[in-house]
Amino acid sequence: MALTGIEIYKHLPKTNCKECGFPTCLAFAMKLAAKAVELSLCPYVSEEAKQALEAASRPPIRLVTIGAGERKIEVGNEVVMFRHEKTFYHPPGFVVRVKDSEPADAVAKLVAEVAGYSVERVGMELKMDGFAIENESQDGANFVKCVELVSSKTDLPLILMSKEPSVLSQALEKVASAKPLLYAATKDNWEQMAELALKYQCPLAVCEPEGLGELAGLVENVTGKGVEDVILDPGARDFGPSLVNLTQLRRLAVRKSFRPLGYPIITFPGEAAANVEEEALLAGQQVAKYSGIIVLDHFSPGIAYPLLTLRLNIYTDPQKPIQMTPGIYEISTPKPESPLCVTTNFSLTYFSIAGELESSGFPSWLLVCDTEGLSVLTAWSAGKFDAERIAKTAKEFNVGEKVSHKSLILPGGVAILRGELEEELPEWKIMVGPREAVDVGGFLKQYWAA
Amino acid sequence: MSRFIATSAIRGAHGVVKQAEDMLKDALEKFGADVPVVFVDKEGVGSTYYLPVIYGYSGHKVEKLGDLTWPLEHAKSLLAPVPSDNLWLPYLGEIADAGVATFFAEEIIKGIEFVKGKQPEVHNGYKFNGPISDPQTRSWGIQLVDGSMPGFAAVIGAAKSNEVAVKIVRELQSKGQLVFLSSMSNGRSIVDQLLEEGVDLGYHTFTVPYGTDTESVVYAAGFASRAAFSFGNVKPGNWREMLLYNKFRCFAFALCLGPMDDLKWATGAGAITYGFPAICDTVVPNILPTGITKYEHVVSMPFDDIPGKDDMERAERLIQRCIEVRGIKIKIPKVDIPVAFGPAFEGEVVRRENLRAEAGGKGGTCFEWLAMKDMDKVQDGKIAIVGPNLDSFEEGVKMPLGIVVAVAGRKMQKDFEPVLERQIHHFINGAEGVQHIAQRDIAWLRFSKSAVDKGFGLKHLGVILHTNLHNDFGAIVDKVQITLYTELDKVEELRDQARGVYHERDARIAGMTDEAVDTYYSCTLCQSFAPNHVCVINPERTGLCGAYSWLDCRAAFEISPTGPNQPVPKGRCIDPVLGEWEGVNSFVYEHSNRNVERFTIYSLMDSPMTTCGCCECVMALIPEANGVMIVNRDDYSMTPCGMTFTTLMGTVGGGLQTPGMMGHAKLYVTSKKFIPVEGGIKRVVWLSKNVKEEFAEELKEVCEREGVPDLMDKIADGTVATTVEELLPFLEEKGHPALTMESII
Amino acid sequence: MAAVEVPTEKWTGKVHEVTLGGNGRKSVVVGGESTLPFLHFEGSLPHRPIIAIEVQDSEPKDWSPHLVGAWGDVLADPAAWAKKAVEYGADIIALSLKSAHPEEANTGADEARKNVDKVLSAVDIPLIIYGPGVAEKDNEVLVAASEVAKGQRVALGNCEEKNHRTIAATCIADGHVAIAHTPLEINLAKQLNILLCDVGLSPDSIIMDPDTGALGYGVEYTYSVIERLRIAALGGDSMAAMPMISPAGAESWRQKESRVAEGVPPSWGEHEERSLIWEEITASIVLNAGADIVVLRHPKTVEVIKATIDKLMSA
Repeated sequence: MALTGIEIYKHLPKTNCKECGFPTCLAFAMKLAAKAVELSLCPYVSEEAKQALEAASRPPIRLVTIGAGERKIEVGNEVVMFRHEKTFYHPPGFVVRVKDSEPADAVAKLVAEVAGYSVERVGMELKMDGFAIENESQDGANFVKCVELVSSKTDLPLILMSKEPSVLSQALEKVASAKPLLYAATKDNWEQMAELALKYQCPLAVCEPEGLGELAGLVENVTGKGVEDVILDPGARDFGPSLVNLTQLRRLAVRKSFRPLGYPIITFPGEAAANVEEEALLAGQQVAKYSGIIVLDHFSPGIAYPLLTLRLNIYTDPQKPIQMTPGIYEISTPKPESPLCVTTNFSLTYFSIAGELESSGFPSWLLVCDTEGLSVLTAWSAGKFDAERIAKTAKEFNVGEKVSHKSLILPGGVAILRGELEEELPEWKIMVGPREAVDVGGFLKQYWAA
Repeated sequence: MSRFIATSAIRGAHGVVKQAEDMLKDALEKFGADVPVVFVDKEGVGSTYYLPVIYGYSGHKVEKLGDLTWPLEHAKSLLAPVPSDNLWLPYLGEIADAGVATFFAEEIIKGIEFVKGKQPEVHNGYKFNGPISDPQTRSWGIQLVDGSMPGFAAVIGAAKSNEVAVKIVRELQSKGQLVFLSSMSNGRSIVDQLLEEGVDLGYHTFTVPYGTDTESVVYAAGFASRAAFSFGNVKPGNWREMLLYNKFRCFAFALCLGPMDDLKWATGAGAITYGFPAICDTVVPNILPTGITKYEHVVSMPFDDIPGKDDMERAERLIQRCIEVRGIKIKIPKVDIPVAFGPAFEGEVVRRENLRAEAGGKGGTCFEWLAMKDMDKVQDGKIAIVGPNLDSFEEGVKMPLGIVVAVAGRKMQKDFEPVLERQIHHFINGAEGVQHIAQRDIAWLRFSKSAVDKGFGLKHLGVILHTNLHNDFGAIVDKVQITLYTELDKVEELRDQARGVYHERDARIAGMTDEAVDTYYSCTLCQSFAPNHVCVINPERTGLCGAYSWLDCRAAFEISPTGPNQPVPKGRCIDPVLGEWEGVNSFVYEHSNRNVERFTIYSLMDSPMTTCGCCECVMALIPEANGVMIVNRDDYSMTPCGMTFTTLMGTVGGGLQTPGMMGHAKLYVTSKKFIPVEGGIKRVVWLSKNVKEEFAEELKEVCEREGVPDLMDKIADGTVATTVEELLPFLEEKGHPALTMESII
Repeated sequence: MAAVEVPTEKWTGKVHEVTLGGNGRKSVVVGGESTLPFLHFEGSLPHRPIIAIEVQDSEPKDWSPHLVGAWGDVLADPAAWAKKAVEYGADIIALSLKSAHPEEANTGADEARKNVDKVLSAVDIPLIIYGPGVAEKDNEVLVAASEVAKGQRVALGNCEEKNHRTIAATCIADGHVAIAHTPLEINLAKQLNILLCDVGLSPDSIIMDPDTGALGYGVEYTYSVIERLRIAALGGDSMAAMPMISPAGAESWRQKESRVAEGVPPSWGEHEERSLIWEEITASIVLNAGADIVVLRHPKTVEVIKATIDKLMSA
């Protein structure tokens, strides 16, 4: 059974030295209990304590880093089967595969497009995470050339894919400092692969499709050599096997703390898909069901955008909802005479009302107040959505200059704020809208004469 | 059970069964066994449920005359001998059997009359409806199930006068009741009375004239049986389920007007088996609750003895009593006042320039008092104004006002008074042009000119309260009566009485202990985002959000029995010191999705309550100080445990059991059950300044109670320490008791 | 090789089986699962998730040109539309009585009876009938539709807390299934099930719709609520054990990403590709969470989702 923070605290030095990055030993102990940090952060922990705590506090899935620099991919450290149990911490990396048998200009063009791709959503820039370069040509020189080409176009993390340790070795001489993932150690080449990984301090993927026992055996071989950063490829490719295998791997890690399989997983949705849509759907499944690195064989913005959105959604902390940036939002190109509504910055609240305004046929202005991510009624009862705050936000974003009228529509749930708000914004007419977002279209139809 | 009624009913049953037997014999001879028997209404629209009472009880399908033989034999087999004058028995089983036999016989008689072309009845040239058709049963059945129609009344006999007959029907209609009319008294039928007064009868007015004979009451039972087949999934022949369905789902009753005879008693016995009570406007023995109907079985309310200034008022009270006896809940579709009403007006302010009159506020005298009374002491819907009305006060003047609400209800409890009283604010605020602030004896009402110009008067305050208390709290409130006082001396006198009550209530709540109750309440409102969190709310610890007390939860459960506040029986006590009970453990285990196995209510260190994320405060252990700190949601500063409120929330929130940390309400610091296992308030070494200030007086009392009157001066806050390093010297200097207490870990 | 013992869940509960159709009409059964979606190795999944295609009773005015193009002329005639939907692979038809909405044509019970009858005669697969989503109108048209479809065991939606008694009553009277819709909260979903059972509807006549947010518009809430309800069901909570339906199609097609072709960032990609994938991912993710029925709009989505379900069920 997991130890509580207090039990862990008893083993710590209790000096509050702060060198672990936390202000007190208790705060650090609480983080350890949540399996959110590693014990090794404490420089003064005794051997005895280490033994007592190591097993209990080590994250069940190792955090593995691929690449170096700002855009490195960090995956692992997951602690639950289902996102509602806590949250999923490290979103899977989306990596696009290129092959060294393809013409150089096509590769260069694709790499530039993928690396330059960025799409904005709820104030965040969503991007692709890296490239896998496959030695399809079976030719070492070709591979090195392709790797050099890709790394000349991007700083994004790389996965080097070849069965030949000698081929990888040549490429590593050029790009080892970028800490690429080596793909993959198999039962035939694992010793040399492990040596390479150790020599260049790179993470190593271990591929064994024969079964989870075989995979675990191979991982133990590799880690026995001293490799610490491992990525698993259980070989499952299609929808069903991928779901089953990845579920089993996650269970073994988080439920059984089974160390040999306590690593992130790499998947290749394109290899089983009949077409691009299937690849996207399988990638989507793997976002939700336990992949750490997803290697895509196709890239187009029309597919990348929904996949990145899905990843953002699934990896949202269910206990800390996404917040909208406060401000005044334009819904369907409003004019100065269009209605002005106010709401909170809880994303779901925003999406509900924005969606209804969109489909209402009334282009509108939507003023979003900072309520620390709380919904209308919760924010109101917590004192985060009161007349003062609404008035302040209205002034801060100069709503008076955006609209030609002086009417502000309040959510029906906080009708009670009307009087106070009239005092805060004396020149404004405060209208009380419906309680439910879904009724806003009808409300505007009835009451918005303008 | 009354021997008088039993004797009459059994005698009546014998009579009607004999009549059916004779008629059947005669009909079989005349028409033969193969002639079809079909029930249709006056438009010729029929039913696919054969003779529904017989079909419902036995599954026996009557399609032709010969099929009536078995039901007749069955009815005969149910007849007990008429009780002799000197033998006293409980009679309940005999009465029920007599009732069933009567319904069988009556349905047989009606079937034969159809064969003879004598149904639906024509009387003085007026064609009665006969049995209700299937399509109409379906349409009304849905309304009965969805509650838009509360129930039906089978009116039997004739009223004291035509005027009373009309009043009775109008009263029933105004309460949404479906009205079935049959039988006669003293040679008169209520249908005659209504027709003479030009009352429009028929499906479209929710009135169904069945016939002038008592036997036609069986059509009402047939209607109820078919409702059970259609909406209760009851299979014909499953009589027990059919009767239970009607008892619990079909809010029907019989209203017997005028003298009773044996056949009426026998028919009434049939109605009682369906769970339908009978209310008689004559002198008869009362039959009190014994289980067949939900409440009383037979209630006598001799018409002329009903209190009231005239027959109209007596009729009104008679119907009121019927509604009560059957336990019918009334929904009022609309708040009938001259200004708009709704949540959109809750936040409206009545400004000086638009002020017509006000009550309360600075220098004013105004109070609100809601009290529970016995059922017979409350006249539902009565609104009285004692003193001058709004319009007789000069513009802008402060008027004295006392709002006294009397409520009664079978499920009402004294402890719900404050819960309901607090709603007055919310209800009155919903009226356009009326502003309401605060509560109790500091209530403050402002009436705008525009509202008063539209005709808003004090009476409408009563209308608002009556309507909303029924609609929102119908589960616990059956009757609401409101009196508004506007004479200063009377208002002051009553206000002083009310103050006594407020004080008693406060004392009662303050004195309510965990030991005094055997049930705590849960709150799972926050499981939407903290799926494994369960709040357990005991009298001495309110919900961690500060919004729900034990009493609130109890009332919420009565109002919404499937809602988020459920009773948690304490069960066997495992450890009285820790506050651990078997019942609580198993409730929490189940409702935390099997995540929290042990749960104590008195300890911070051993299996404390989990936190959703809504808590007003977080308490956290400071091992270095051998004590605990408490930080409030509105305190943004760093705290000695190295975490701000937000960070602490992230650690403790989400339903994870975290010994050494716990979310709670601000008020909890004043509780006698404040972490008793760890030593109570003496363990607190750091407390957010705003909580210290807000609860200064209460905390002072607590410290005195705990024998450490100067403790508050020894407890640090953000102004003196935001790190352990700053905290310890402060505690040393002040000599904080925690430093010398038993080690907390 | 290391010894690996794959942990399997010993669930005690099972999802209720709900049958739609029958009585001369083809029938489909949903539910019955005794494990999480598609985990065949540790439990049984006796019925595959099914696809409903949305058909509206009047020609949709605001649909994307990509949807209009895919369906063509049949959009003006619900019977023809339904027939076409069968060709495209619908397991059931979700007939939406949209025209009854007060802001649309505000049609009433007669129009509803006519349209339901038309579609019932046009196809031999089961029906879901949706009201316009305004409580009073829902009651009016669904009660009428229920009567017309008596004995055909259709599903009626939405049944919400405020009108649950009416919908339950008509479902009981005519032998139909209620679609119990609640706002994104597991306890509200359970509470509505309890209320429906209280009125007398049996648990095998309820399908839950715990509310769907499209991809990018709250799909994570839907995902977790469905997943939690299913876990609760498998854990033995019979009031959470109703099969689930998700109107993934309608929800994704009303979002900006699907509706707007012009004036959006180039990084959103090509409009048709994007809007199709938007619907497909929304549908596939709710299926992965535990939905038993998805209601879809585009024929291509139907094809792709069907293929995906085939693969997941054959594993």
